[in-house]
Amino acid sequence: MITLRGLTKRYGEKTVVDGLTCDIASGQVTGFLGPNGAGKSTTMRMTVGLDHPQEGEVLVGGRRYAELRHPLREVGALLDAKALHPGRSAGKHLTAMARSNGIATSRVEEVLATVGLSDVAGKRAGQFSLGMGQRLGIAGALLGDPGTLMFDEPVNGLDPDGVRWVRQLMRSLAAEGRTVFVSSHLMSEMQLTADHLIVIGKGKLLADAPVAEFIAGNSRTTVSVRVPAEGERSKLDARLRAEGASTHPGDPDELVVDGLDVTRVGDLVHELGIRVHRLAERTASLEQAYMELTASSVEYGVSA
Amino acid sequence: MTTTEVRGGGLSGAVAAEWTKFWSVRATWWCLIAGTALMLFYGTLSGIAQRFDDDPQAANTIALGGGFYLTQFAVIALATLFVTSEYAGGGIRSTLLWTPVRERVVLSKAAILLPVLFAYGVVLSCAGMALSGAVMAGHGLPTTLEGGFTTTFGMGGYFALLGLLCTGIGWALRSAAGTLVTVIVLLVPLPLIVASLGLPELVSYFPGIAGVNAMVEAGQLNPITQAAAPYAPWVGLLICAAWAAAALVTGAAVLRRRDA
Repeated sequence: MITLRGLTKRYGEKTVVDGLTCDIASGQVTGFLGPNGAGKSTTMRMTVGLDHPQEGEVLVGGRRYAELRHPLREVGALLDAKALHPGRSAGKHLTAMARSNGIATSRVEEVLATVGLSDVAGKRAGQFSLGMGQRLGIAGALLGDPGTLMFDEPVNGLDPDGVRWVRQLMRSLAAEGRTVFVSSHLMSEMQLTADHLIVIGKGKLLADAPVAEFIAGNSRTTVSVRVPAEGERSKLDARLRAEGASTHPGDPDELVVDGLDVTRVGDLVHELGIRVHRLAERTASLEQAYMELTASSVEYGVSA
Repeated sequence: MTTTEVRGGGLSGAVAAEWTKFWSVRATWWCLIAGTALMLFYGTLSGIAQRFDDDPQAANTIALGGGFYLTQFAVIALATLFVTSEYAGGGIRSTLLWTPVRERVVLSKAAILLPVLFAYGVVLSCAGMALSGAVMAGHGLPTTLEGGFTTTFGMGGYFALLGLLCTGIGWALRSAAGTLVTVIVLLVPLPLIVASLGLPELVSYFPGIAGVNAMVEAGQLNPITQAAAPYAPWVGLLICAAWAAAALVTGAAVLRRRDA
């Protein structure tokens, strides 16, 4: 469990994290979303005491990170895969890490095997690819068998197999009752991985909700109808508008209906005796919902 | 998740981690090897020169010269890189995740360098004396027991405290170049400038000159300044310790306050 209370971080005049208050619960994967520069990484760095907040606090299991006697046994964090000496081997890096927190050094081989780096334990970390670096970072996060795990963009640089592996790892860590807090900008990946979402923009909390609720609350479900005959299509269009729906053309032959559910559209089609090639409900994706929510809060957006 | 065991970690954990980190990068070995080669090179050459020179020296004075003119720069590089390499690659963020109490990180690096560099200075001083003594083959001046002991103990103490001074400045400046320049200026040009400004009595209180004074038997001339120290050799080490302590306190304060 991670607790943020009025967490605020300013760099000079600029407020990067602005009074964040929320709880990240155990036993589920909590996705942390926001545009670039929204303050995600800063929030994670403050959680482990790398950055100092000006106001508020962030607690892990009720205590500040610096107060933990064996922090690595309680919190595992992958914040930056390059946060290591490039000249030291992966194995020695993890060995030093284990010794710092009184973790049995036999864990080093275990976690290297878990992330699939056993064969390159003796290789210098500076020679690792981005994907191997991420795996080493994940190995470090798992080293102390912690109850809370935090990953900043963990699938960066991973191949599709690696992405899938990370997804399964997160799911299984949460299923074991751990707190899993993960930031990503890959919405489709988050939709598959996360149970709960925390969305921030310009340092402020925009949403704190279960994934399904977030999507439902921030986007509309539409209905797609394909009518091959143009005359019939305009007839249906007029009828749908009369029923209070708004419509707009989609692909050729397609009408996209907003404001009526799929059952009602089907009934109207039947009533008018129109030939259709498709009648389908279109559920919004997390990406659409996210775009709608953060549209006004993009830090480094391209102005139209 | 099962944390029944409550041993390890804390300062002792941080020291154990730093010990592993110290010996697992090439820079450590290169610096130690380079410093050794420089001492042996200087000892041999100066020993040969004694056969022809009309300025006779004792073997311990030659070892002192090798230590001050050459080997100390390897010590400075070693200690500086031990800290600043944390910033070159972002390793500091890992280090502080493992050991979030930042004073402990400063202490643990000092705790590694202190014994390692003391032993290094002792061993190299003995090696330099033995080698140059053998090469001189009866030329030069004889080495007294007290002189030899003072040089050996003084070099160990000087290297150890010089290392701590470098780590303190390294924590404060976070860059290898900045730290090296600061330390070297502090050791050599600054005392010369202070002397030329009409304050020669202050020269003995700079860390480099104080370190050399710690290696010279009481009452003998400091071969660098050509003057006898105004204090006993052990006071020289005390002065070095004060410099190191001031640097460490400053470095720890900077590390504590700044974001990593």
